Amino acid sequence: MISQYESIAPKGDLHLLKRLGEKLAGKTFLHVNSTRVGGGVAEILQRMVPLLKGLGIEVRWEVIEGDEPFFTITKKIHNTLQGNPDHISEEMWAYHFEVNRRNAEKMDLEADAVFIHDPQPAPLVQFRKNGKWIWRCHIDASNPIKEVDEALRQYWGKFDAAVYSVAKFARSMAISEYIIPPSIDPLSEKNRALTEEEITEVSERLKIPRDKPIILQVSRFDYFKDPLGVIRAYQTVKKYNDCLLVLAGSPASDDPESEEVLRAVNEFSGDDPDIHILMLPAFSDKDINALQRMAQVVLQKSTKEGFGLTVSEAMWKGKPVIGGAVGGIPLQIVHGVTGFLVHSVEGAAFRIRQLLNSPSMAKIMGEKGREFVRANFLITRQIRDYLTLWYFLENPGRSIIEL
Amino acid sequence: MAKIIKPFEFKLYTGLLRFTGRKAKNLHELREGIATVSEDSLFHHTCQYFLKGTILEYTNDFAQWAGESLEERALAEHLSNIDPYSFLQIEDLRKELLRVVDEYLSAFPGPREAFPGDEFFFNETVVLIVPLGIQVQNLAEFLMAVKYVDPGSLYYHFYESKLRLGGRVNDFSAWMETSLGKRELAERINAIDPFMHNLEEIRNVIADLVEQKARLDMEVYNR
Repeated sequence: MISQYESIAPKGDLHLLKRLGEKLAGKTFLHVNSTRVGGGVAEILQRMVPLLKGLGIEVRWEVIEGDEPFFTITKKIHNTLQGNPDHISEEMWAYHFEVNRRNAEKMDLEADAVFIHDPQPAPLVQFRKNGKWIWRCHIDASNPIKEVDEALRQYWGKFDAAVYSVAKFARSMAISEYIIPPSIDPLSEKNRALTEEEITEVSERLKIPRDKPIILQVSRFDYFKDPLGVIRAYQTVKKYNDCLLVLAGSPASDDPESEEVLRAVNEFSGDDPDIHILMLPAFSDKDINALQRMAQVVLQKSTKEGFGLTVSEAMWKGKPVIGGAVGGIPLQIVHGVTGFLVHSVEGAAFRIRQLLNSPSMAKIMGEKGREFVRANFLITRQIRDYLTLWYFLENPGRSIIEL
Repeated sequence: MAKIIKPFEFKLYTGLLRFTGRKAKNLHELREGIATVSEDSLFHHTCQYFLKGTILEYTNDFAQWAGESLEERALAEHLSNIDPYSFLQIEDLRKELLRVVDEYLSAFPGPREAFPGDEFFFNETVVLIVPLGIQVQNLAEFLMAVKYVDPGSLYYHFYESKLRLGGRVNDFSAWMETSLGKRELAERINAIDPFMHNLEEIRNVIADLVEQKARLDMEVYNR
């Protein structure tokens, strides 16, 4: 399996994966999260589990089962950990624990290393058996609502380590905290190389003409992604450069605001035939891949963001990306090297014009961006980091290990 | 009897980032952090800066943050001028960093605060070192290896080794001088300014120097 990544991923990462695989072969590795499909965590686990198996590691992926009230509670926990005010009652906490207790009875929690993804299955740690337990936090938990943080503290202390995607998402805890950014899979449907015929098929089906430069933003219809700001930036650019704007998103059933945002976006774009607003069905990975490859400039003009992996996806396709300087975006965009970081609509418009007027600069930035993603944000690096962490936890007290 | 040459073995250097739990939102807090964090953390924010692969405006994380997040550009320039590889002990590097920050604070005691989320996060790394399985015995073999070896290996042998070997010489130069007897080449490689190049440029500069020397060694003149 790993051999598929030869000539794509850095040789050093593949070499280290093989060596760590030799050390950890035959050991058991358990991942637990709250959904098998949908969302970035499930997406990366689907790709990661077979690769870990290919390294000789006995890997399992379990999903906790819960009813609607349970997921309503975990949604509140998720939001309050990110700093959104809400109240979680004693009964809710008790139910959160009870559902996890029932899952623990059914689940085989015996493993040499256990990764618990996000807060939903965190209480499982009360039923830990052998092995190292790691809490993998995918969200920005740097400023949680205090009472929620205190309620969850009983669980955090029982883990051996926590892992965050970005240092600024972390906060001081009583356990070791590691920083492991997420990644993209270069061989997945969303990122694999496409033929020109495949790209043309998508552009014709989605009715996206390719006779003008395309500016693209792929994101949920959410005010934090600033779709109205993207349209305003496009309108400014349009006075100088003929171009086309594509805003592509998918419906988000867990976000009642998205319909309102979509309505506002449609209204704001007026009757401009060069603005294409696409509501793509879930799992439109190939369409997104093709749209990113069609574009001349890709935007991720968020005003609040998690890691923002769509930035790496576009950079992997050799596109210069203009991103808001929030969340994990500054980790992916080295300003002026792999793209531009912006802080305003005017800044975004100016950078779009620069890139449209200088195809050679856009090309160089795109090439550097692809190389930056290759070195830092491919799935092979993320697996390497997970196994390195596991190996260090098995060899405590050392900060340098020579394999 | 021919002299047995000790081969050079390329090793791979990989770090995993660990958050120390400490952050700073202004210069006073940065100073307190520099004074008290682990040596591993100071090493990470200065010496390991070159692992980034891209040369930014300044030459270590403290300088970069002071310049870009606090907009204290004069301080950023002072901090950038500190060569972490010139210190034999990390504690001496700590003293120098503190001296520069203290001097600036005595002249400008009320510096601005970073925006929330843009604080300085003190990190450190845990490090795995792995033999790459590439061994070379002469300059021609070395040239091929150095052109294509992983950037993490270049960092380990060119930057990190200077501290490991007592702050004076990198692994490549040490091997070239002691095993190959190529003292002049060793000195030229050791004299490459680490601050003026990113890892890929360092690779090219080393490869050029080695190729020149290998060509000279192999050239046969018609008599």
